[in-house]
Amino acid sequence: MKFKEKAKILSSQDIKRILHRLTHQILEKNPNPYELVIVGIQTRGVYLAKRIKEIIRKVEDVELPLGILDITLYRDDLTMIGEVPLVKETKISFDLSDKVVILIDDVLFTGRTVRCALDEIMDFGRPKRIELLVLIDRGHRELPIRADFVGKNIPTSKKELVEVRLTEIDGVDEVVILEKEEDG
Amino acid sequence: MVNWQKKHILGIKDLTRQEIEVVFNLAASFKELSQREVKKAPALRGKTVINLFFESSTRTRTSFELAAKRLSADVLNFSSSTSSLSKGETIVDTIKNLESYHPDILVIRIGYSNSLYSLSQYTSASIVNAGDGANEHPTQALLDMFTVKEIKGTLEGLSVLIVGDIKHSRVARSNIFGFQKFSSSLRVCGPPTLIPYEFHKLGVDISYNLDECLPQADVIIFLRIQQERQTSSFFPSIREYVNNFSLTPERIKRTKKDCLIMHPGPVNWDIEISSQLKERIHPLILKQVENGLAVRMATLYLVGTQKGEYENTD
Amino acid sequence: MKILIKGAKIVNFDGIIEGNLFIRNSRIAKIGEVSEEPDKIIDAKGKFVLPGLIDMHTHLRTPGREDEEDLWSGSKAAAKGGFTTIFCMPNTRPALDNQGQVNWLLEEAGKIGIIEILPVGAITKGREGKELSEFGMLKKAGCLCLSDDGNPLEDSSLLRRALEYAKMYDLLIISHCEDKNLSASGSLREHLISSKYGMEGIPWASESIAVFRDIELARYLDTKIHIAHVSTKRSLQIIKKAKEEGVKVSCETAPHYFTLTIEDLEKSHFHPNFKVNPPLGNREDLEAIREGLKEGVIDCIATDHAPHSQGEKELPFEEAPPGVVGLELAFSLSYTYLVKAQILDLKDLVKLMSYNPANILGLKDKGYIKEGAWADLIIVDLSRSWQVLPHKLFSKSKNTPFIGHTLEGIVEFTICKGKVVYTEKGKNG
Repeated sequence: MKFKEKAKILSSQDIKRILHRLTHQILEKNPNPYELVIVGIQTRGVYLAKRIKEIIRKVEDVELPLGILDITLYRDDLTMIGEVPLVKETKISFDLSDKVVILIDDVLFTGRTVRCALDEIMDFGRPKRIELLVLIDRGHRELPIRADFVGKNIPTSKKELVEVRLTEIDGVDEVVILEKEEDG
Repeated sequence: MVNWQKKHILGIKDLTRQEIEVVFNLAASFKELSQREVKKAPALRGKTVINLFFESSTRTRTSFELAAKRLSADVLNFSSSTSSLSKGETIVDTIKNLESYHPDILVIRIGYSNSLYSLSQYTSASIVNAGDGANEHPTQALLDMFTVKEIKGTLEGLSVLIVGDIKHSRVARSNIFGFQKFSSSLRVCGPPTLIPYEFHKLGVDISYNLDECLPQADVIIFLRIQQERQTSSFFPSIREYVNNFSLTPERIKRTKKDCLIMHPGPVNWDIEISSQLKERIHPLILKQVENGLAVRMATLYLVGTQKGEYENTD
Repeated sequence: MKILIKGAKIVNFDGIIEGNLFIRNSRIAKIGEVSEEPDKIIDAKGKFVLPGLIDMHTHLRTPGREDEEDLWSGSKAAAKGGFTTIFCMPNTRPALDNQGQVNWLLEEAGKIGIIEILPVGAITKGREGKELSEFGMLKKAGCLCLSDDGNPLEDSSLLRRALEYAKMYDLLIISHCEDKNLSASGSLREHLISSKYGMEGIPWASESIAVFRDIELARYLDTKIHIAHVSTKRSLQIIKKAKEEGVKVSCETAPHYFTLTIEDLEKSHFHPNFKVNPPLGNREDLEAIREGLKEGVIDCIATDHAPHSQGEKELPFEEAPPGVVGLELAFSLSYTYLVKAQILDLKDLVKLMSYNPANILGLKDKGYIKEGAWADLIIVDLSRSWQVLPHKLFSKSKNTPFIGHTLEGIVEFTICKGKVVYTEKGKNG
């Protein structure tokens, strides 16, 4: 299956501004930073979470606990895909009880990934509240899940793919839309 | 993503190096899971795992049972002493009868070598080999290699020595096939009567002199000796065996300082290893048990979640 | 009944001639120009007529395991495979170790009357290897040879007595050569493969040690002896040398030893249909067996047809009983792997599967197509092939490693004592 780049939605500068804006939105909604913890969903959610943690540190001078979550073992579609996903690290080395968890992922699509993450977080403890932050919401929800903080809403068709690229992995910061190439 | 093509895990012989690395990767994350408050993931929720142990083994069976449960599977235990096998039901009949429970995975330990492939045609479940005769014990080798990798950082270019009754040991065979896939060099040491025929053709060094082998080894695996081997004249007496092949406090001085000394357990103290070395050996054996659980979770996860269209593995 | 076989190539061990063959009642009446009016004509143009095959080594499981094979299914299988005379081994339950048992077998065989079934008596009572059976009575009842097949005669002094005593009755002792202590619980050849897969192996020395011992005794006593199912290179070396030195030893091999090796067993994932005793050897043994057949060191091909029920072959490899069926496959296997492979020619094959067995056992007027001989004949089409499938086999048991294989050479007709006892489906001459 081949994809070709259709459009560039966000540039490096856009992403930077959005992350700042989202961080301020978090702090506005949650005035007490000491009850916050950040959990990033593997893989790109983790890097976004790290950046946001850094911004909060600069703005509020608070080091928030950062957790990373791999949701593979909680997936509901393991028997349908032909391959074994590699399970990456999950590390939540702090107590979640009575904390507000800011759950961070790059793209919100069907909502299934977030559902997995919610189940997994519950197995770690009983948080006070979970708030979802995503860089992109591309619609097509299959479960009743909504984000509290959204970087950008992008309406897409199911044939399209939204790819978030981050310097830490992809060498560049940008968000692009890819389209499935019709077989010639 | 990795392509996992195997419906069954019958032996290390059939696994590629990449497949073994997939098991290691998964085992590492399962170790983390076992340290959480809730030591469970729903990956095998709704799946049925049946432990079919025709040979008794509390330790391996418990390990598989807990592994399956931590992945949220339903577990049934069948052992031959309590099952209808003792009433004359054949192994094939037993498997056919269990089909009515629609098991997803059969974990089988059996006294016959190489019968699992034939048995696989009587069930739609995946089979994980928990030890078949003297042929293979893949999860044991996987946990041994995983443990070595954890401590040494790599499996490449290690010098591995296996001591004892090689001839009757599935642990020896699985470990040999496994370590060889990572370009480790293999040597076996034991009395000639317990070294299998033409074994050097497998690319393994053979020695009858333990003292000579000790200084070069990075990893030494000591195998269990069964008392009945003496009556079958594989060696004249336990005393003579101990003189030649036992790890004594004197002998251990000849090993490298960071040499890993392992044993699949349970240890016959003062036969394979001197009881004076308990403190030195114990920690690693406990680590092996912990890793065994993680490795078994990995194997169950792999065969349990892959429901692809399987071609008959020929 | 008068049968005319037209236009065939008539094959004997010493030559092939083209012509017509006329059968009157149970004998070959004329070869060549025929003026008599036949009742039945078989057009054998393009086909070959061979003397009926003779199997020195078959297991019919009767009495005792009629679920695996009985005289009827065994006869049908033999006829299909082109065998007009078969010798059935005494490892039945009870064993064929007394006159009454043999009489009963011959009576039952006579009632069926498809092909000739002859008994091999047991050397020792119950085949236990302790006391000699009544050789004289067995001979009187119809045994031409004796064997404890399945068991070797471990006690050398008892084998000595057996060989000596057999002289009086001119009975041939067929020896199963195996050192049971060496072979112990082995289920395949001791080999890199048995070592790799953790299974008890049977050293090749187990067979050659027993062969050597048996030949030494035969040499010492100046008696004849026949070695059953030879499977190793070393055994053949010993037999060849002994023959050169004048020892009266003859021997046989079975088709699986010149068609399969232990590597085939490995490829089958140790399927019990590949389990035989003596076990499959390595490539060297297979080549040596083929060479031995070519050189004449091996006197005949015998099937060692060993039916086993599905239940028994469903057991784990190490538990399953050894043995494969072979009556219906032996000719095609031998033709495909020896003649088609240009190791032997058709005449040699006839020698191995008909002429020599007849000679060794003193069967009169069998094994050679000539006027006056018994009309034991088969008509084969060597240009066609067939696929081995369970439902095609007449034997009750289907335990053969060749399921699914395509073999060359088809037996179209089998005639036993002038009666057509097998016709290939779709043929009517």
